[in-house]
Amino acid sequence: MSNVINASHLTLAYDNGAKEIIKDASFSIKKGEFVFITGPSGSGKSTLLKALYGQIRPSEGNLVVGGLDLASARQSKLQELRTHMGIIFQDYKLVNEWTVAKNVVLPLMIAGYSVDVQNTQAHRLLKHVKLAEHADKFPLELSGGEQQRVGVARALAKNPVVILADEPTGNLDDYSSNVIWDLMENACQQLETTVLVVTHKIPTIFSLPYRHFIIESKGVYEVH
Amino acid sequence: MKFIKNHLMFILPLMAILLGVESYLVFDRTTDSYEKGLKEGYSMLVVTKKPMELSALKTLNMHISTSEKIKRENIVSEIAKGVSQSSRKEILASLPYFYNVGLDSYLHTSGLEEIKTDLEADANIKKVETFGSSYSSSYRLFSFIKFTLKLFIIFMAVVSLFLIIKQMEIWKYAHKQRMQVMEIFGAPLMLRSGILFKVAIADAFIATILTSAIFLYVKFQWAANSGIDIMMQNQEELFRLTDMAILLGSALLIVIIAVYSVVFSSKGVQE
Repeated sequence: MSNVINASHLTLAYDNGAKEIIKDASFSIKKGEFVFITGPSGSGKSTLLKALYGQIRPSEGNLVVGGLDLASARQSKLQELRTHMGIIFQDYKLVNEWTVAKNVVLPLMIAGYSVDVQNTQAHRLLKHVKLAEHADKFPLELSGGEQQRVGVARALAKNPVVILADEPTGNLDDYSSNVIWDLMENACQQLETTVLVVTHKIPTIFSLPYRHFIIESKGVYEVH
Repeated sequence: MKFIKNHLMFILPLMAILLGVESYLVFDRTTDSYEKGLKEGYSMLVVTKKPMELSALKTLNMHISTSEKIKRENIVSEIAKGVSQSSRKEILASLPYFYNVGLDSYLHTSGLEEIKTDLEADANIKKVETFGSSYSSSYRLFSFIKFTLKLFIIFMAVVSLFLIIKQMEIWKYAHKQRMQVMEIFGAPLMLRSGILFKVAIADAFIATILTSAIFLYVKFQWAANSGIDIMMQNQEELFRLTDMAILLGSALLIVIIAVYSVVFSSKGVQE
């Protein structure tokens, strides 16, 4: 199976290279794999995730995602790459002035789908995350768990090649957490979506085979 | 309330620019006819030894456009009252020829002096009187008003443009969350800045309508009762339908420049 992500001697740093977060990391992830990335607070988990969607450029080494070298890719290519990704944040990053339905179909809107398709998909996705009755509400009218489910629905909207999730169940109750893990497991299993989840703790009930990377002392190591 | 305030902070400076643009257009049109009046009302006196055709005068200076011969008989009848017919004929024969010479454009004193020099170089021309001082004082006052107005409009436009850009930055900050989320999901710059364009273009239309309304009021209500000759005589020039298109075009150009300058002034809206 082909590699979706390939990092080779990757170094990530802030302040023009002065503050190194990850140094000389090499790893690769294949299509359809489910990957957990853990590590202590401030170890660079979220930084790695930001690098994977091109918000931070590698200081040294190579990081290739979906065949695109993120160190040298043009901004327009990065934008295009992001349209094939589903990104989930701990703080949800929903647009508070938009309804839940509009938030969910953002990737479809960016891709230029018609309003009819967007509406149909919004209904289907919200039903999938058990929020169909909240379609016309605004994010701030929902609980944290519900908002995160909207975030997951948005990430799944365009059947992405890769899902990147940053602490997706960090502050959620067990019910919402389970719904979210189920959704990501299904995406991985049924659509062969590659899923990378940054988390403090791997869920105890998890049925799929997965890989586990740990970030420690600026290095990225796989736990076997 | 905040919504209205936000829009007014954009519309008012934009209106200031549009008022400047329209004032300039109106001033230019009304003064054009004033300028034409000054030009048409002006003529210099040329005294020649022998009769001289317009074409001959034109060869001496290209600004000469008309020449009107002053009847010598009238002059003789004024200066030779009670003189015999034969003496009258002698006076008439010895009198030079007088011409009122008109120009094709509104010239500065130096231009008039140049014409005078050109004409006096001809042996047939005895004397040229330009009446330059009275002509020049009107011209200088007129030029000064025009220059001051242009300067004021430019200054007002620059200050207003800065205010517009400032307001645009506030809007960008207000829509930061939405633009940030759209950027993360791969929205191109134009799509994520779409909200700024929409709001700015809507305000450009509002500013154009309000500015046009002010000038329509000036044209149909105020000018007629103003008692200002130039306004009353040129009422039709105060606002034309084409001005609305010019104002809208200017407003759209300004807001597009402002949005672009704000959008491209920072690399995205990332955290």
